[in-house]
Amino acid sequence: MLHFALREAGRLALGLLGALLMAAALAALGNRHVTDGVLPFLKAWGAVLGGLFQLDLGHSAISGGGVWDELATHLPLTLELVGEGLVLALLVGIPVGFLFGAGPARRAAAPLAQALSAAPIFVGALVLAYITFHVLHWPVAVGTEVKTSLKLVPHTMPELREALLPVLTIGLAGAAAAQLGLRRATVETMHEPWRVQLRRMGLTAWDVERAYVLPAVLAGLFKCLGEVVLALLSAAAVTEWVFGYAGAADLFVKSVALRDWHIAAAVLFVFAGLTMTAHFIGTCLARSIADPGAPTPW
Amino acid sequence: MVMTVTGQPLQSALATVLRAAGWIGLALIAVAVSLSDFLANVPADTVNAGPLLGPPSEVFRFGTDVLGRDMLSETLHALSATVRAALPATAVTLVTGALFGFVAARLPRPLALSLRGLIGTLSAVPGLLLAILIIGLTSRGWASVAAGLAAAPMAFVQAFERAGTQTRAAHSEYARAAGISAVTLLRRDLIYEFTQTILSSAARALAAVTIILSTVSFLGFAAEPPHRDLGLMIAASKGYFLDAWWTAAFPALALTLLILFARLAAGLDEGERA
Repeated sequence: MLHFALREAGRLALGLLGALLMAAALAALGNRHVTDGVLPFLKAWGAVLGGLFQLDLGHSAISGGGVWDELATHLPLTLELVGEGLVLALLVGIPVGFLFGAGPARRAAAPLAQALSAAPIFVGALVLAYITFHVLHWPVAVGTEVKTSLKLVPHTMPELREALLPVLTIGLAGAAAAQLGLRRATVETMHEPWRVQLRRMGLTAWDVERAYVLPAVLAGLFKCLGEVVLALLSAAAVTEWVFGYAGAADLFVKSVALRDWHIAAAVLFVFAGLTMTAHFIGTCLARSIADPGAPTPW
Repeated sequence: MVMTVTGQPLQSALATVLRAAGWIGLALIAVAVSLSDFLANVPADTVNAGPLLGPPSEVFRFGTDVLGRDMLSETLHALSATVRAALPATAVTLVTGALFGFVAARLPRPLALSLRGLIGTLSAVPGLLLAILIIGLTSRGWASVAAGLAAAPMAFVQAFERAGTQTRAAHSEYARAAGISAVTLLRRDLIYEFTQTILSSAARALAAVTIILSTVSFLGFAAEPPHRDLGLMIAASKGYFLDAWWTAAFPALALTLLILFARLAAGLDEGERA
């Protein structure tokens, strides 16, 4: 396990290094001389990398504020949205993945699930807004005001109303990825020959499910953690725009529109880092619960 | 046991039917797109064709929008614009993702792994943000290329993995042992790969680029009036769709159907990333 974790940590470090180089190249575009040729660009790139090693991410070309300050202002909101979305994704995705793992339930739900999967996130957000407005009669503001905070645990009805739509939109996008990983693992495990062999060895069905099938299925879920986080971040970009939240994804969109490359590079690096770290954690968790070194049948 | 024996052929038959349904749906959309100028009642962006925000009726079957534009005509024109932008984007994804990934896996190992690492890093960033970034670095006119490039990392990684499996396959080992050159083997594997997977890869790429293109348009980074695509039409309805549902519902339905048919044609699993 230690060897595996070290190897995965090495991969993560390489991935983060690649993302850092990519972000630095993007940030270098903020230098006014980069269009003069390759050499000025390489110089600017080197200068940005030099700054990064001193933890200087540069300054926003628009506000003039430090990139750290901009991230500190906008990133927490995105992380809150993604965090709450992740909880919802697991709450919805795990039962759906188990329920529609195989058999007639899956065949019956497949057309609806396909149709839901085909709807882009912004269409889903508008549908949820419409339903909330007409069925629950809640006031819905679509892109009319800019919000800079979100109550992680809503205490009042207005707070719940404000948080529900963006979290639901992001959570459902993540749930699609979570249920897929779980469902695939369930289907794979269902067809494993060792299930029958273990029963023949005298184990009860419950013992086989609890000690062997459940870890294998959960490992399948953990393995797709990176995919789930990627789906959540994609959904956050759209949701922040639709519902007017001034998060990091919204900051990225505005930074690109205004050619504020230092900010765009920082957000890009953070998002790539989050996805890679989630993948690393998920892979290690999957390995720890379905460790081939342990006495398992596979 | 009975379930296993009867379940597998049934599932396989269902998958074939769904794929066929996907291709038929895409063919119907292709017909609608090619005849959009004839099927539409008025040219694109014709204002005051009817009452402002008129609901669906006998005359205006999809209703009218805030400028009195016929929603049926506008949806047909926007569907055409979306498909016309998505097709070159699909080609870009196939070439820079699927084809390049397949060839990259056959390059000398250090170079192949470096490319895999670089593209793998790009695939850790949401495709939508990549597309926005490329458009920001170029211009709106490059939106199709940007969407194609943004969807390419995923296609690259998948093709790279498939090529890796083929390289380790028994036929490759026999070929190498028999002295068949690497180029000949690559050509054989490329032909096999593309005849077997080109259609599903293209449909998958179409679904991916359509989602990216419509979303960047929705965010205001791609299509510009008067050449509106479905994403921009839906964005334009943001202010009044709560009271006039038809202004968003029909373009959203057309967009969802296009993506759904492409997903079905590609044989994607429910919830699987395109």
